Amino acid sequence: MTTDASSPTLRVDRLGVQLGGQVILHDVSFVVDVHTTMAVIGASGCGKTTLLRAIAGLLTPAHGEVKLGARRVDLLAPNRRGIVYLNQEPLLFPHLDLFENIAFGLRLRRLPERQVRERVAEMLVQLELDGMERRHAHALSGGQRQRAAFGRALVVEPALLLLDEPFSNLDPDTRTSMQDLFKQLARRRGITALLVTHDLKESMRMGDSFAMMRGGRVHAYADRKAFCADPASGVEREAAFWQAFTSGDAQVSGCDARTADS
Amino acid sequence: MRRALAWILSGMLVLPLVLLVLLSLARHWTWPALLPADLQLRQWRDLFADANGLGTVVLRSLGMGIGVAVAATALGFASSRSLARHARQGRLLALLHLPFAVSPVVLGVSLLYAFLRLHLAGHLLGVMLAQLVFAYAYAVILLSGFWNPRARSLEELASSLGAGRRQVWLHVLMPLARPLLGVCLFQTFLISWFDYALVLLIGSGQVATLTITLYQYFSSGDIRLAATCALLLLAPPLLALGLNQQLLSATIVTHLEAHDDD
Repeated sequence: MTTDASSPTLRVDRLGVQLGGQVILHDVSFVVDVHTTMAVIGASGCGKTTLLRAIAGLLTPAHGEVKLGARRVDLLAPNRRGIVYLNQEPLLFPHLDLFENIAFGLRLRRLPERQVRERVAEMLVQLELDGMERRHAHALSGGQRQRAAFGRALVVEPALLLLDEPFSNLDPDTRTSMQDLFKQLARRRGITALLVTHDLKESMRMGDSFAMMRGGRVHAYADRKAFCADPASGVEREAAFWQAFTSGDAQVSGCDARTADS
Repeated sequence: MRRALAWILSGMLVLPLVLLVLLSLARHWTWPALLPADLQLRQWRDLFADANGLGTVVLRSLGMGIGVAVAATALGFASSRSLARHARQGRLLALLHLPFAVSPVVLGVSLLYAFLRLHLAGHLLGVMLAQLVFAYAYAVILLSGFWNPRARSLEELASSLGAGRRQVWLHVLMPLARPLLGVCLFQTFLISWFDYALVLLIGSGQVATLTITLYQYFSSGDIRLAATCALLLLAPPLLALGLNQQLLSATIVTHLEAHDDD
């Protein structure tokens, strides 16, 4: 488990991003508490990826501040922020095998070889990828690559983990198992994370706190109850649908005689 | 049919080489004899015992080729990255084709005028700089294909995991581009190694390379020494071609892996 100092609170204050003269983020402000995951839900094109890239330092904001604890990180280069950004695609370095992919961040930090080996071996066990150390990316399945990408990010114990729809390319079963794995590892390692997704179920499963993003603006909810109660979140609509489905509403379940005949 | 075609193609490639070898070893080869009567190494001994110092010429040509290849590839790799992120990428790339659109003689004459003023004409450095114009343009065009969105994502990923700019180049970009860099080194070496027009114009008779020496033997009517010299000219490219085959295979495998990852 990491300490509060290594995984501090994220504060985003009036963050604005313009790309090609177009405003993508409008004065975005929110807080993610230490050791928690905030799920930001929003439709495609609402600025979710831009938000994460701006926090990671992969693009330059027009204005605003990003703080981790008391430290202002938006003035630092991406490699000095202690923030790891995980792309939608589980990118592994193709010239490195699985072991070296996971060890990548540790080697950059010039940790002793023995420590690197121990930490990578421990991570491989947690990811259930032990025995595959010498495989390259092309010899791993989509789910295994996603696990490896997670492991590589978590093994360096980042102050903040940014997850950009990390499970969107996976099949439903693998997605569920990856969500469980993430929750388990995040809890065990005390990770502070910001997840963006357009999948309501995923946000409910993974988030400790919630925000809604629309047209480059973020609305953060006080708690889970407030998120569920907001009609814009779609939670009540989704719940009503499944309630109708399980109660045997023929129109919803499509199990009435007419549908069966056709 | 296929077999016959293979034989014809092989014959077209190999026969000129066989003829050169026979000419370089033949003491007497008069018409109508199909093959020379007497084969010996005398011409090879004469060539290197020559007061012209062919050994020095070979070393100079090799040095120029390696120097031009290393400079063009290094500069081309860095420039192609900047080019890939430039707003006017298409126009600049089109401009880089300009040296190949005009004859080397035309470009050589233009450069000669400039180099005379800069006191670079008649100097080895001047010839290498003139060859670099072609080799650099070629390197940028060849290497610009490397900077696709995937390479950029991997670069950002490494940065997010804590890699500084130098570490990104050393641990990610250069290993990823290694097969392509090998091809580029080989091709730009050949631009210098086989160059005749620029050496003649910019060198102004003061810089002797293997192509100039070969032409001198040929003009003086010594076809056997010219053949021996031609074999020397072909040796490094043939050797490099063997290595290049592996590099090309590696390039194909890398691309296949990249597509497989997608």
